[in-house]
Amino acid sequence: MSTTLVVEKPETPRTLNTPTPAGVLATVIMLAFVTAGAWAVAELKINAATLVRSWENAVRFFRNVMPLDFPGLAELWEMTALTLAIVVSATVLAVVLSLIAALLAARPTSKSPAVRATARFFIVLMRAAPELILAIFFIRVFGFGSMAGILALGLSSIGMVGKLYADAIEDADDGPREAVETNGAGRIQQIFGATLPTVMPAIVATGLHRFDINLRNSVILGWVGVGGIGMELSTALSVRQYDRGLALALVVLALCIITEIVSGMWRSRLLGRKAEPSRFGFLWLFGKMKGRWSPELLDAPATSTRTIPPWDAARVGQTMFTGVLLAVIALSLWASDINWMRFFEGFARLPEVTARFLPPSDGGHLVLLLEQLLITFQIALAGTLLGAVIALPVGVLAARNVAPNPTTAKVFRTIIVVTRGIPELILAIVFVIVTGMGPVAGALALAVGAMGLLSKLVADSLEETDTRVQTALRANGATEWQVFFGATLRQVAPAVIAHVIYQLDVNFRSATLLGVVGAGGIGFYLLNANRVLQFEVVTFILVLVVAVVLALEAIAVLLRNIVR
Amino acid sequence: MTSATTPAGIEQRVPHWVDPESAPLSMRGVTKFFAPSTTALDDVSFAVEESSFTVLLGLSGSGKSTLLRLVNGLHLPTSGTVQVLGRDISATKGAALRSLRRDIGMVFQQFHLVGSMTALENVCAGALGSLRGPRFGLITYPKSVRQSALEQLERVGLADQRFQRADTLSGGQQQRVAVARALVQRPRILLADEPVASLDPESSDQIMTLISQIAKEDNLTVLCTLHQVNLAMEWGDRIIGLRQGQLVLDELTANLTTVETMEIYASVSGAGR
Repeated sequence: MSTTLVVEKPETPRTLNTPTPAGVLATVIMLAFVTAGAWAVAELKINAATLVRSWENAVRFFRNVMPLDFPGLAELWEMTALTLAIVVSATVLAVVLSLIAALLAARPTSKSPAVRATARFFIVLMRAAPELILAIFFIRVFGFGSMAGILALGLSSIGMVGKLYADAIEDADDGPREAVETNGAGRIQQIFGATLPTVMPAIVATGLHRFDINLRNSVILGWVGVGGIGMELSTALSVRQYDRGLALALVVLALCIITEIVSGMWRSRLLGRKAEPSRFGFLWLFGKMKGRWSPELLDAPATSTRTIPPWDAARVGQTMFTGVLLAVIALSLWASDINWMRFFEGFARLPEVTARFLPPSDGGHLVLLLEQLLITFQIALAGTLLGAVIALPVGVLAARNVAPNPTTAKVFRTIIVVTRGIPELILAIVFVIVTGMGPVAGALALAVGAMGLLSKLVADSLEETDTRVQTALRANGATEWQVFFGATLRQVAPAVIAHVIYQLDVNFRSATLLGVVGAGGIGFYLLNANRVLQFEVVTFILVLVVAVVLALEAIAVLLRNIVR
Repeated sequence: MTSATTPAGIEQRVPHWVDPESAPLSMRGVTKFFAPSTTALDDVSFAVEESSFTVLLGLSGSGKSTLLRLVNGLHLPTSGTVQVLGRDISATKGAALRSLRRDIGMVFQQFHLVGSMTALENVCAGALGSLRGPRFGLITYPKSVRQSALEQLERVGLADQRFQRADTLSGGQQQRVAVARALVQRPRILLADEPVASLDPESSDQIMTLISQIAKEDNLTVLCTLHQVNLAMEWGDRIIGLRQGQLVLDELTANLTTVETMEIYASVSGAGR
């Protein structure tokens, strides 16, 4: 602005709009977040000296730990199969329960407002419950073994899956259901005959997505006694067999990447409604068959009276898909080796075990627990701030419309995808080994994890911006930097703020769990309380965590409403 | 029913040629409020003859769709009686209502097909009311149902497309599948809610021809809402005009001129809406 425009007359028209209360509040929240984040980073002593020391540590460590000690193939197969069996069974349980909850919670399929409200409340409640604490409880009820893991993962999935299903049912076209209703179909007939077929792709896609998440979440349950890779990993780390531990961590990483690729392909095929089967595995084979058989089949139905579709490529493919899915589910239920006797006996123990978890008690360590809760919060804050600091430039460089050239965008997109593929637990284990036990490891693990998610969200938001604004500024002679700040960044600012707060919410949940592997915070005390069988303390910690999660969620919702 | 004079000056001729008691479908003094303060229908009375083709004419928001939904009990009247095939719809509930709905087929403006299901399975879903228990997938329907569904698809000329996904069919074809679905339970009354409003003129003509032809073959009593006067004049035996929830015209098409029928729209703009 030119200096001749000195404010001489008081009646000069304002060139800055009057701040709105909502805007001020949003600014205050953001400033508070940045300040708190900086304070957390300082308080946890995450600084150059620590990082340099860690680097030396890491070099020394990895020299000692090489070569990695991979378990034998048979042993490896056995633990992988158990983990996959538990995760598949849990996901199936989650899909079934979520579908029931969603049908009761969605307007088109549930006429009573009271039933809908109850079902919605149940879904929210399940979202707040951490799977680790559910697992601790179920192990007491049903004993060590797969059942506790399946129930813990399955029930905690309802929060996300149930909500997405209910939204899918409400967003879907209700017309087919109404049409069937006018023909005299009953409620259940309407659901099976019209509603479910309409939302089927969404049901399967969300289920597959949750399978990925459950696989990641299942590993940590090993620390409280659920079988599979997680348990082997926790055993190896507890006896300081780091060569074995890191090998298993790599196995988990590989498993996560493989399942994500497979389920991602299925998902995009389901949601993309491609006419052609994707060129992938047996689907590709049926694609070829279709090409060969279709001509005769197209002539056939004209004269025939068959009412069941012919065995063309599409039907063969679909039947195979369903068949393989059912076989995998059956195999998983069998392989997860559920002790059904123990399961049914467990219900008799339910009141007694519940009584042991109640009432919540601090066990005489109130100050300690609150201190640890604060540290957990600091870890989440520091992780989010550091993550955001890295994520912004990475996200910018990964956005096709902002990156200096397409290759840069591609390289950074790949970096993001790879980072996102690494489970936070694995990151935490690596950082615990490198920087030693404590909050620094947790904060760094979350920072890397946050970078993966946040930079993807930032890049996606940037790519969605209205490029005509950029063109207009460029036409006025603005430099690329001016365009970037004046048009691009300005447009995505609200979305980025919402993403950062969402990330804080996610990070706090993760920070609670990462304490279990020694990454600092209240998680460690959760594990301890479980070890010494002080279950009232477990419940107390649950209450603390849920309170903070709900508070954070309230802030996130508030901020999202303001900046939108 | 009282005789009334509309603001535009059309005298409402009260039809006495149908006895409400024996009519397959009649309404007496029907009023429908929606919360908080919308009057969708205001004291509507009429009765239609067996095997007749009645067109409900009016702008969107005039209460046509509400009126159709009162016939099969998707809505219940705030006051007045709706009598369908000898039963008071307000007093019919549960299994009796479902059994009554089997005798009433319905066709919608947006077709309301499940896009991911085949044409044949969509038609089969129309027979759910006469089956016990839920069905999921074509193979779970009894063969007899699949056969009669195929017969109906044949009538609407889509037997060859029966294994195509509904969302791969054209708009006109989808509406024909929807007609077949409405017919599969051999209803006695057919309700059509703006069946051609989403279609191009050529497909519209085909669908109206199809409905009218099938209605003659099956002796169906048809109640069809439309908003185009020319279509109403062409296909209806009788036209009932609705404006802002009130019945403003009820006359045999043969006794009407296009200009007279247009009056129900003219008077709306005259009323300064």
